[in-house]
Amino acid sequence: MWRYIIRRLVWLVLTLLFITGLTYVLFFVMPPTDPSILFAGKHPTPQVIEQVRKNLGLDRPFVVQYYLYVKHIVVGDQYGWPGLGFSFTTGKAVRSLILEKLAVTFALSLGASIVWLMIGVPIGIISAIKPGSLYDRLGMGFALFFVSAPVFWVGLMFLWIFWYKLHIAAGTGYYPISQYGVLTWANHLIMPWVVLALVFAAFYARMVRGNLIETMHEDYIRTARAKGISERRVILKHGLRAALTPVVTMFGIDFGLLFGGAIITETVFNLQGIGLLSVQSVNNGDLPVIVAITLVASFAVCFMNLVVDIIYAYLDPRVRYT
Amino acid sequence: MRVSRKGSALLVLGVTSLLIATACSGNNGSSSSTPTPGAVTKGGTYRSATSSFGFVGDFDPVGEYTAVGFSYYQMLLRTLLNYTGEAGSAGLVPHPDLATDMGTVSSDGLTYTYHLKDNIKFGPPINREITSSDIKYAFERIDSSSLVAQYAFYFDGVIKGMAQHSGPPKNISGIDTPDSKTIVFHLTTPTSDFPARLSLAATAPVPQEVAKCFTKPAGGYGNDIVSSGPYMIQGADQMDPSSCSTIKPMSGYDPTSKLILVRNPNWDQSTDNLRKAYVDGLNMSIDSNVDDIFNKISSGSLDGSFYEIPPPTVLQKYSTTASLKPYMHIDPQNTTYYISMNLIVPPFDDIHVRKAVNYIIDKAAIQKAWGGAATGTIAGHIMPPSMAGLTDYDPYGTSGNAGDLSKAEAEMKQSKYDPGKTGKCTDSVCNDVILLNRNEPPWTDAEAGIVADLAKIGINVKARELESGAAYQTIDTVKSGAEVGISMNPRWGADYGDPNTFAQPLFSSQSIIPVGTSNYSMVSMTKGQASKFGVTYPSGGVPSADSQISGCLPKTGQDRQTCFQDLDKYLMEQVVPWVPMFYANQVTITSPTVTNFAFDQFTGFIALQNVAVSNNASP
Repeated sequence: MWRYIIRRLVWLVLTLLFITGLTYVLFFVMPPTDPSILFAGKHPTPQVIEQVRKNLGLDRPFVVQYYLYVKHIVVGDQYGWPGLGFSFTTGKAVRSLILEKLAVTFALSLGASIVWLMIGVPIGIISAIKPGSLYDRLGMGFALFFVSAPVFWVGLMFLWIFWYKLHIAAGTGYYPISQYGVLTWANHLIMPWVVLALVFAAFYARMVRGNLIETMHEDYIRTARAKGISERRVILKHGLRAALTPVVTMFGIDFGLLFGGAIITETVFNLQGIGLLSVQSVNNGDLPVIVAITLVASFAVCFMNLVVDIIYAYLDPRVRYT
Repeated sequence: MRVSRKGSALLVLGVTSLLIATACSGNNGSSSSTPTPGAVTKGGTYRSATSSFGFVGDFDPVGEYTAVGFSYYQMLLRTLLNYTGEAGSAGLVPHPDLATDMGTVSSDGLTYTYHLKDNIKFGPPINREITSSDIKYAFERIDSSSLVAQYAFYFDGVIKGMAQHSGPPKNISGIDTPDSKTIVFHLTTPTSDFPARLSLAATAPVPQEVAKCFTKPAGGYGNDIVSSGPYMIQGADQMDPSSCSTIKPMSGYDPTSKLILVRNPNWDQSTDNLRKAYVDGLNMSIDSNVDDIFNKISSGSLDGSFYEIPPPTVLQKYSTTASLKPYMHIDPQNTTYYISMNLIVPPFDDIHVRKAVNYIIDKAAIQKAWGGAATGTIAGHIMPPSMAGLTDYDPYGTSGNAGDLSKAEAEMKQSKYDPGKTGKCTDSVCNDVILLNRNEPPWTDAEAGIVADLAKIGINVKARELESGAAYQTIDTVKSGAEVGISMNPRWGADYGDPNTFAQPLFSSQSIIPVGTSNYSMVSMTKGQASKFGVTYPSGGVPSADSQISGCLPKTGQDRQTCFQDLDKYLMEQVVPWVPMFYANQVTITSPTVTNFAFDQFTGFIALQNVAVSNNASP
């Protein structure tokens, strides 16, 4: 088991190296804008452009830049470990910038994923138990609606109905717990949680339903029933356990993906998270931030994949790692 | 200036399809002179939000080159001369600010002497009286390229001894400070708009004891700007300047989330007759959702907008609801949106082609794409009326500004690219001409019309849309610009209230530099420059405006205005580098809590230093 985990971790590092390297190459081969000219002002003398280039570390060959980048990640830089450099646009350390934004994205993703599991899985189970019933139709209608409704539209409608019109929800923006307390924090996050969760919930409901219906036709379920086990136990203990394994895989990847930022939800609800930061930094040609976000996002996906694979072993007795 | 290269991208985020909103509404918002309801009292906070600060110099006044940056500096910094923060041409006339008067000029125009007012102190934590050396130090910073200082071109070659160099700021021989209250500038050449250049925020006094700690890239000092104006960054008093290592960023400014300004306790209203400073402070937050900003203004949780153009639905609501109209403020900025033609790229090396293009473009359609009359007035010439006072002049005016095919064809017939006199360009150079554009609305909305207009006279363009910054970089590099025949992405705004800001940087040979030129049309380019920068010089030459511009520079007063008016006419008739599209308006929405709205013609945005509110909020 441990050998497996270590092998996976080594692969994770290689994947991250490959992804950051690719980001660097893309940035230098197809630069959106040359940041040194962007920050050199209106009538830049060659001297100033050169100075900016030097300040931003862009005067070195890109292989050297990449080497230094990787080195700083490993050993840290003036801003601490891991060293991610400083943002071209704001001059702030990328490390603290990312941590600050990550807190917001994490709060959003964690809350939303709990909400979508709490909505999606039960709806899927109910639909699967009585396919074709009124519950099934209602549940799948819900799923179809939210799978097809664009997030930005759902977000704006929620804001309009629950905030502008009914005044029952708190408005946009992120209110850190440390400053405003848990209640205000959660109050401002409820709408984004629900909006982001609805799309996923709909998707998960359909998936759980499909898997569970299929599982319930398996031979071992018939055997379980024949043994006289209660239907409830058959569904939850025997059916669901098998039906949920692909859901766990999906969940791991989805949850990891959200660390790259839920750009639309963050924009609509003005949550200053990773998603917004990534859009801004791409617009500004802010290389260190772009690479750092890529790094965080790919790390999250790879890491969650690993976690999922480990959980798999416990969920499915047939799976064993050596 | 470019109204912030990036700010420009952000400026239009919400303007997707303004057509419905204001195309038919006209200028029916309140102008800035309209009294706003309620009594004007001191106190409260101007609460606003912006989608991004859009800074390009990390907020250090020596490197920050955006109009939105200028707006904040009007609250934070005082300069020798400055403006009253009002709309119209009066808002572009410099007045004494730190200086006791407009200064004394020697008869040869080469020496300017200014005396500083008494009892003007830096804000906390410095708290000492501002001296002439603090102003001189600001100029020394301007020449330090290691600070990424961006204003040197206004002073190098103008003030004796000023030349940009790498390394930390060093002494300038042409600036004397005979005593702590007197500063003398020795010029190398008479420069009659020199006083106006002393209003740039980069020349505001900087305390060396703090700024000396930031000798590396611009940015550090932007977090710790020491105030000389009515407001300071929140937390300034907590900053410990006793040594460089103890200086930490002031808490009120975070480039990614907020700017909070509070009153500077050392500012004395009796020394400042330019700023009303009604509010107790400013709370500017970042809100990524532009619609949300305007909803908050309408619900009263924000007091007003800043630079964002209101989304179409908001414009429509405010322009059609009588009770809301007083809260929409439409003010002309000092900015021209234009189509630039490259004088060294065929077929635009032929003046008749350029004139034909001026006749054929349907400016009314462009204005509609931008959101109608509220967002801008159709331009007939280069300089906005606020600059040189030229109005009602449009040598290529057409009925309803919709373009005129017969006039365009008549011009085209005189062109060498239409040998058969068909009225259409028949030469192969007119095929696949590159039209550069931004990749965002409303630029993209206006593109199809312009492409179709050009096709009417036989110019078949290939549109290439790029992100705003990349588009600018394509044409501000002489070599890559030479691949682009015509570009609709640029716009130009004045740095200060002098018409030369619309002349020298845009049309002189001196402003053509290999990278970072703002003379995108290559007006006045010499043959030598062309070969030096590796581009082809057209056989017919390139019309020059150098002598006209240098003729205007020494002039003052009305003579100067007239001279630049003539230059504008000369450019429009003899050079024809542009199709001026429109002069931009700034549309600001306020909530009823704003009891005094003021527009600053100098910055082109709301005059934060003169706005008053009734919200009793603390910053």
